[in-house]
Amino acid sequence: MMLHYFLRRTFLIGFVFVALTVLAFSLSYLFPGDVLNNVSGLTNIAPEQQQALIQYYALDQSVLMQYLAYVNRILDGEWGLSFSSQQPVLAEIIAVFPATLELASYALILSFVLGIPLGLFAAVKADSFFGKLVSGITLVAYSIPIFWWALLLIMLFSLTLGLLPTAGRINVLFDIPTTTGFMLPDIWLSDIRYKSEATMDALRHLLLPAIVLATYPTTVMIRFTRDSMLAVLEQSYIKTARAKGLSRAQVLYHHGLRNALLPVIRQIGLQFSTLITLAMITEVIFSWPGIGQWLLDSIYQRNYPAIQGGLLVVSCLVIVVNMLTEILHTLFNPLARKA
Amino acid sequence: MKKFRLYFEEHNRGPLTQLWQQFQRQHAAVFGLVMFSFFLLLTLFAPLLSPHDPYLQNADLLLLAPSWSEQGLVQYPFGTDDLGRDLMSRLMKGATYTFGIALITVIGALLMGLALGAMAGMSKGVKSSIFNHVLDLALTIPSLLLAIIIVAVLGPGLWNTTWAIMLALLPQFVHGIRNAIQDTLKQDYVAAYRLDGASNWQVLRYAVLPNIWEHLTVMATMALSTAILDVAALGFLGLGAQAPTSEWGVMIADALDLIYLAPWAIALPGILVFASVLSVNLVGDGLRTAMTKRREN
Repeated sequence: MMLHYFLRRTFLIGFVFVALTVLAFSLSYLFPGDVLNNVSGLTNIAPEQQQALIQYYALDQSVLMQYLAYVNRILDGEWGLSFSSQQPVLAEIIAVFPATLELASYALILSFVLGIPLGLFAAVKADSFFGKLVSGITLVAYSIPIFWWALLLIMLFSLTLGLLPTAGRINVLFDIPTTTGFMLPDIWLSDIRYKSEATMDALRHLLLPAIVLATYPTTVMIRFTRDSMLAVLEQSYIKTARAKGLSRAQVLYHHGLRNALLPVIRQIGLQFSTLITLAMITEVIFSWPGIGQWLLDSIYQRNYPAIQGGLLVVSCLVIVVNMLTEILHTLFNPLARKA
Repeated sequence: MKKFRLYFEEHNRGPLTQLWQQFQRQHAAVFGLVMFSFFLLLTLFAPLLSPHDPYLQNADLLLLAPSWSEQGLVQYPFGTDDLGRDLMSRLMKGATYTFGIALITVIGALLMGLALGAMAGMSKGVKSSIFNHVLDLALTIPSLLLAIIIVAVLGPGLWNTTWAIMLALLPQFVHGIRNAIQDTLKQDYVAAYRLDGASNWQVLRYAVLPNIWEHLTVMATMALSTAILDVAALGFLGLGAQAPTSEWGVMIADALDLIYLAPWAIALPGILVFASVLSVNLVGDGLRTAMTKRREN
């Protein structure tokens, strides 16, 4: 049963990956400029080089062969050069990607820690003043444009009060050697003397972007936890559990929360691509050196090979997260396995 | 006066009237509807209502403070920007761009989604599963990335990024409409209609669509709030509307250099984006509640 399910999933993922590479491949032709430049990422190609390059990239063969050659190069880790720096695209992505992952995961964790209890609270105390307050604040936070919210917080905490820094991941005075690419683990792994100061500084840099980015997922989490909890509390098995003499907390935890969180898990996967969009905007505003800022710089510089590479990496991340939440959902919910 | 009342009157009203009755009981939703109508009016009639030309530069009145401060002028309620353009007129004209374009995007995505969703919902087996998987791919590309790719291919501009937003909205419409259609097809009245000899098209037109339009409206309002936020964000990032256009996101980006001198030039467009999205969300939430309550009765 489960095996069949996993096989189907694997097939589906394979299909999506093929479609994704076809899209990325066709972009070399769709982007303005010469195809050879777009494929290789070289800005100046000498005439005597040209023939060799065309052969190397299989541009003289049929489209299908070109596509196969492209997939081969992708798998070999040869993603072309960036127009602006003439460095390999893949190396640049590896340098910036952890920063995005770090920011997004802290925001997601924050949204779990805040969103689920608040959503639960808003469902259980739906008619009380605080329940309505939570619902109201959620609606307001759900409607705020993220870039404006970020600017408001910068205006308040950085420009007026001067409490928090506005840009970057850490003060440039600290020299942290890169091992994992994630700032906090890097600080703990390094053998510098001023570890605690560096940690504090990194946290201060992290605070505003994480809050800004966490706003949207937290509100989504509250809304979904509340709605699905309200739906679950209507079910007859809740009444049965109460009638059996279980305490309120027992009913809420064992019968309510466990069932209510199932759709919430699914929602994380569905909302993840929105989260990435928001992370990109947050990175631009806070000069956070992640893939979002890198991609937006690439579009301002018309750096086509970089956009192609970014598309592959970001979409793969979303696909993987989607798949993981889907599998988690199926593992926790026997009813979903039948479909 | 009639002697017998065979039916409770309330239950005999048309579905629209019932929906409105449930809707108007929610004060927040009605407030949202008023705000929504205000923005709609602004979108349609901004050029007639605005006190000045939004693009007219006045070199004598650069960075005029809003009228509530000592230095302000009553003729310029929200002051002027660094080129001496009246901020209020620009904000009003901005509704046409941010709110209007978002509306057009949603209507476009809704129509496309209706066509594709109907095809997916009415078909079975391999055809419908291929359909789903292509959509899953579209779901995995974040809307901003989609916009970046489209800008790279077509160049920046308000209308080009409209396509990106439309494409980003499309999958949720198609999924939602497909699920709604398939749920309706399971109903007994559809089976009865089929036994009467109704064709696929007739089933869709007369049995399915009248039963899912409420869902469609709720979906459209949810999409509209996303669309407004996306239009403003793309304008802010310089990918959508371009500099002299008074789109709200662009106005915020323009005013960034003046963050110390004229903080209100950042605050006001943001408040408008926020208020328009809030109004749409209030209406959407109200509609959804009214819909569930109507079905329960």
